[in-house]
Amino acid sequence: MTITKRIKQSCLLLAFVLALGPAVLPAQSLEEKVTAHTLKNGLTVIFAERHGAPVFSTLYGFKVGSVDEYPGITGTAHLFEHMAFKGTPKIGTKDYGKEKVLMDKIAQVGREWSVELAKGDQGDKEKIARLRADLTKLEEEQKAYIVKDEIDLVYSNVGGTGLNAGTGTDQTMYMISLPANRFELFCLMESERIRNTVLREFYIERSVIQEERKQTTDAVPTRLLSEMFMGAAFIAHPYKNPVVGWASDINSVTLEEAQAFKNRYYTPNNCVLAIVGDIYPEKAIPLVEKYFGDIPRGEDPPVFRTVEPKQLGERRVRFEFDAEPQLMMGYHKPNFPSKEDAAANVLAYILTRGRTSRIYKDLIQDKQLAVSVSGLAAFPGDRYPNLFGFNAVPRFPHTVEEVEKSVLEHVEKVKIEPVSERELQKVKNNIDASYIRSMSSNFGIAMTLVEYQLLYGDWKLFKKYRELIAAVTAPDVMDFAKTYLTPENRTVAYLVKKAKAS
Amino acid sequence: MKRTKTQVFAAFAVAFLVLALPVLGQRHPRELSAPPALAFKMPKPVMFTLGNGIQVAYLQDTELPLVWVLGYFRGGSLYEPAGKTGLAQLTATVLRTGGTKTLSGDRINEELEFIAATVEAMGGSEFMTATGSALKKDFVKLMEVYADLVMNPAFPQDKLDLARNQSLESLRRRWDQPFQVSNTLFQEKLYGADSPYGRRATPATLKAITPEDLAAFHKRFFSPTNLMLGVAGDVPVAEVKAVLNRVFKGWAKTKVELPEPAPLTERADGTIYYAYKDTPQANMFLGHLGVRRNGPDQYKLDVLNDIFGGGGFTARLMKELRSNRGLTYGVYGGIGAGRDRGSFMVGSQLKAAQFTEALGLIKGIIQDLQTNLVSDEEIETAKNSIINSFVFNFEQKNQVMSRVMALKLQGFADSYLDTYIDNIRKVTKQDVLEAAKKYMDPAKMIVMVVGDEKKFDKPLSSVGKVKEIDLKALIEAERGPQK
Repeated sequence: MTITKRIKQSCLLLAFVLALGPAVLPAQSLEEKVTAHTLKNGLTVIFAERHGAPVFSTLYGFKVGSVDEYPGITGTAHLFEHMAFKGTPKIGTKDYGKEKVLMDKIAQVGREWSVELAKGDQGDKEKIARLRADLTKLEEEQKAYIVKDEIDLVYSNVGGTGLNAGTGTDQTMYMISLPANRFELFCLMESERIRNTVLREFYIERSVIQEERKQTTDAVPTRLLSEMFMGAAFIAHPYKNPVVGWASDINSVTLEEAQAFKNRYYTPNNCVLAIVGDIYPEKAIPLVEKYFGDIPRGEDPPVFRTVEPKQLGERRVRFEFDAEPQLMMGYHKPNFPSKEDAAANVLAYILTRGRTSRIYKDLIQDKQLAVSVSGLAAFPGDRYPNLFGFNAVPRFPHTVEEVEKSVLEHVEKVKIEPVSERELQKVKNNIDASYIRSMSSNFGIAMTLVEYQLLYGDWKLFKKYRELIAAVTAPDVMDFAKTYLTPENRTVAYLVKKAKAS
Repeated sequence: MKRTKTQVFAAFAVAFLVLALPVLGQRHPRELSAPPALAFKMPKPVMFTLGNGIQVAYLQDTELPLVWVLGYFRGGSLYEPAGKTGLAQLTATVLRTGGTKTLSGDRINEELEFIAATVEAMGGSEFMTATGSALKKDFVKLMEVYADLVMNPAFPQDKLDLARNQSLESLRRRWDQPFQVSNTLFQEKLYGADSPYGRRATPATLKAITPEDLAAFHKRFFSPTNLMLGVAGDVPVAEVKAVLNRVFKGWAKTKVELPEPAPLTERADGTIYYAYKDTPQANMFLGHLGVRRNGPDQYKLDVLNDIFGGGGFTARLMKELRSNRGLTYGVYGGIGAGRDRGSFMVGSQLKAAQFTEALGLIKGIIQDLQTNLVSDEEIETAKNSIINSFVFNFEQKNQVMSRVMALKLQGFADSYLDTYIDNIRKVTKQDVLEAAKKYMDPAKMIVMVVGDEKKFDKPLSSVGKVKEIDLKALIEAERGPQK
């Protein structure tokens, strides 16, 4: 759900495939286009051929996200994602030997500086200032050797578009679209980045991310509300932490910690690569073997241990901010691929999607208590049990309390009265159509393939989603509501306007 | 002839390999030889005109069982009467939600959503658009509803109230996010609060709008001779023609007047506008008026913009403010083209503790572009990027169709796309310098900054003439007395 990207681009649709979901109709046609190939080092490569325009899109993901972080290093998955654009010993430098000497010094000064910063008020102000000045001087010296953002430069020159990356709770994804005659360049560039990333300009980029956090969370009411909400909904599981990380950790995480995190998770056996467009797999596979084949297999990532304990009672959060009110609520539930997850997707649709959904008609159109209510079937991630819930925006002078009460009336109604066959059919028709629509872009197809392969080990599971949705019945929806949408399993967060605002 | 960057790299590679053997598993793209040329044929929509005057653009796409429709009507918020700002968007919203003379809006919602079809309308500044999409099996149904909505909208009071109430709430919320606040106020200062380009809807203007206003606005622009309609998808052209002729039958032609709005005059005078808001960053827009679209220097400007602030990490703004100094998560800028004058603008959310430093850097970048020739590498990268990524404009057929339609409506020559690459190729470093001198004026630029001056590195008065905007008073005046 929460995705933090290297560049903010509104046109870049990183909508979660699982939330919108593939379903019935031309499943066959996608499978016919796909060729999957696994390298000896464990890298899975999936091709989907589309020869309409002479271009291709690629997307590769590592199964590592903010969920794999621990206290003190929150935000590191995302921070490393930014660092992956800084080059290699060959790309991004004029003289790596000389640059390396400076980088070793930067690492040392940066570490000392970060340690002192992490002491907060107890830190030695004079020492902090001195180390900061030393660091700036070293960074200035290093500039003489840097070929600025050479990865961007190389791709720009050949007409690459959409060079970006995104970090989520569950995975980290990298993407680029290129003209069809640049496949070998893609192989060279990306195999180098995976194998040989150099954490060049680390402490400058850490500063960029401090600003990213302010821009995308601290100044954005919805994101701040979401952060407060997650912190209450989860008490043990790291889904409670924001993808971008807590400010204290972003301010003091070191280059060595980011490198260690990378070494642990950025292995070919923890990676899935999709290539979709005007590419012929029989010609492309030898190139993939040549460039990616000699990346050494790594140890399997550590087994994830933490299980969120059963919620024993309702949790409520309320905070004041300089913004109009809104609320978020959620209930713990099983994740994909489960019958419950499918029922949750169907229910979110029936309640809130479109102008014919129940809550739209009642709360937005008739009573006009709210301007929007969005149902969320599976958030903040999909790798582990997650949440079903709502984000709602009241209409002045109506309050978050009124909106919560009315939403809950709809939740209660689902428990006692089966949803209609027409509603069920409408949802299935729409999920089918959105699947077909997602097949109209190379990037959309790549996203589907990578997500299912990476998170669940088999790209063909997009069909499983379709089957699960198609099988949902009215009693399934009712059972889901009765079992999971209970007060003791619920968390509610309110953002309310500061009494004395600016 | 210009050589591409990769060819230059390839020439270097020969010398390089003689001197040093690459370390195993460490490669640089210059080691690759030039790739084969890219064969590429631009898909082109078929254009035809129906009996009642509707211009149609059609592009077949048989890959998926889908169909898209896109209609542009000339007319929009530029033609709103004084005191009724917001009328174009309300007309569009209620055209869709209010139903027709024979079908209620709720009934249309039920029918469309059950078959996963969509029809939506939008009110822009100079065009009203109505889009639709469906599975191809539902093409006839889609077009019946679409045509009924654009020809016979009912504009009932209850759906106007709903749309207005929703808009009023979004007006309340536009002050919540500092960057949006900065943009709203910047646009107003740039174009003028009374200009059709700069005025903004307020609760008072929205409340003044009646169903009769919607009907009159609709009647003025929604005429077959004022519509350009695009259809793309898996429906054969003969069927498209037959269906369109049937659903739009009997739609009377009317004469549509589209007077040119009063020309914009430059108001920017170097003032720094500051609005206090308790927020962590300095939310900034700066600039002055831009250029008229389709002008003589458009290709020079495309290249200049790429180098200045439009080209992502290869652009100077991003390179200096983000990548070299860590002052922001993003900074974008360029000289925009508009119907009359677009805007020359830079926008960024900046580290408050280094705000005036960042402002100085931006001005320095502009002045450098006006003084010195850009480097060979920069202009080559900008041109290569524009030329080599051109093919992505044609990845999806419905996008091709909408692009061709938009260009036609905005008065670009039919050959614009065919000659675009050659025109970019001709741009020189001297052209870029001249364009920067001609279209950028750092002394005139206004700066709009929303944030907390106490967090800035220096007082704003140390960098220019400051006018403070009292945001709280402005919001209270706009809202009037609250219940």
